[in-house]
Amino acid sequence: MHRVAPDEVRARIGEPDALTRMKKFGHIDAHVRRFIAHSPFLTMATADAAGNADCTPRGDYPGFAKVLDERTLAIPDRPGNKLADSFTNLAENDGIGLLFLIPGMIETVRVNGRAWVTDEPDVLARMQTEASTPMLAIVVEVAEVYFHCGRALLRSRLWDADSQALAAEAPTMADVVADLVGGDVETITKHVRAGYRELF
Amino acid sequence: MAAQQAVVARIAPVAEDVVALDLDAADTPLLPWTPGAHVDLTLPNWLTRQYSLCGDPGDATRYRVAVRLDRLSRGGSEYIHRFLRAGRPLAVSAPRNHFALTPAPGHLFIAGGIGITPFLSMMDAIDDARLIYTGRHLGAMPFAADLRERHGDRVRIVETERDGRPDLRQVAAELAPGTLVHCCGPAAMTDHVQKIFPGVRLERFRPQPRTHRPNAAFEVLCARSGRTLAVPPNRSLLDALADEGVAVASGCREGVCGSCELRVLDGEPEHRDDIGAPAGRMYACVSRALGPRLVLDL
Repeated sequence: MHRVAPDEVRARIGEPDALTRMKKFGHIDAHVRRFIAHSPFLTMATADAAGNADCTPRGDYPGFAKVLDERTLAIPDRPGNKLADSFTNLAENDGIGLLFLIPGMIETVRVNGRAWVTDEPDVLARMQTEASTPMLAIVVEVAEVYFHCGRALLRSRLWDADSQALAAEAPTMADVVADLVGGDVETITKHVRAGYRELF
Repeated sequence: MAAQQAVVARIAPVAEDVVALDLDAADTPLLPWTPGAHVDLTLPNWLTRQYSLCGDPGDATRYRVAVRLDRLSRGGSEYIHRFLRAGRPLAVSAPRNHFALTPAPGHLFIAGGIGITPFLSMMDAIDDARLIYTGRHLGAMPFAADLRERHGDRVRIVETERDGRPDLRQVAAELAPGTLVHCCGPAAMTDHVQKIFPGVRLERFRPQPRTHRPNAAFEVLCARSGRTLAVPPNRSLLDALADEGVAVASGCREGVCGSCELRVLDGEPEHRDDIGAPAGRMYACVSRALGPRLVLDL
């Protein structure tokens, strides 16, 4: 397959306009703070020292990612699959890229920076839900914040109610597990559902 | 708990890091309340928080609450201070009162900081009640000037940065027999007050830390539907009911607010709440069972 050289890519895409460049900030301003306070979901991209990249979903109540000040964010570590891919990557390479989404909103917010892990009680206290407090949080030192336009979400019809019919056609977690380890889909579905009850 | 619709009418600072939040009735009049009552506010970020009502109990068009910005906010007070806007509709629970006034030969109220809120209407309701109101300094004490103006010498303001802590042992020694003491404030204060006034009625901001026996599994019979369900050790009664499609209203989920009160028909609950469940009632968010089985009015 033909590989397009990096300078050729730029030539074909063209340069961003002035407004687009203006939407890039070096800090979390009042609008972005308000956006993050209403976002229940983000994707977190990290890579190891060799550049092997990974992207994981994180979600909780809106504002679960806490803005500590205009250059610092903290994201709680909730129980997940214990693969700890993000932690392993951050130990080798502290670069991080976040994409915040708000249901119903086509614009997204991108935050890039450097990250490390903390167990600071004052930070964890702000992330308590019901009966649980996270053991760890990821602190992001913000280098770049960008208010991203809504074209991708418009084209993808991400928030259209009709789009949810797609889920019925996709493989379920139980389908995947049944193919991997055997067993009947119905039993595995029950296990998966039981697991999903333990959210925190 | 039945929700009412209200609209944020005004958010205004009333002291350092404290705002008063006025909530106006949307379509129908707001439910009545008595001094000491609180409501749950469901915020746009899905969090539910409890606040004492501190406006006029006779006003069915408006509720007022006061909210201090918690430095370690999980998203409740921070949301109200930073992000909530006038004009926003909010779901407000029916008022509940775990801190109600009862007749007594005398009343003494002890408030710390934002713990003043339930006492504003209580002071209006009882002519000879006395109030000791402590805070770091006057600027950080909401409604202090207003209270002095309305109630004069019945209100003693103690600015701890200047005056130190009030000598409550002295107060206790001089207390007329039968005086009922109410206290609302931070944990350090409620703990101290409880030692000096053993019969005090307390309202806490956060649940008291405590240890329980290990969780055991138990069975629940829902008397009205005839359904039986199992509550495993790692699930709360509230969650176990929800898992089986038995919806129970809930608020704080930590045994403070009383939203999830259930009627117990048989079996002995293990109460773990901070409210003090009345006989035959329990709070499903934290409380469990002492025996193998509970029969609930569900």
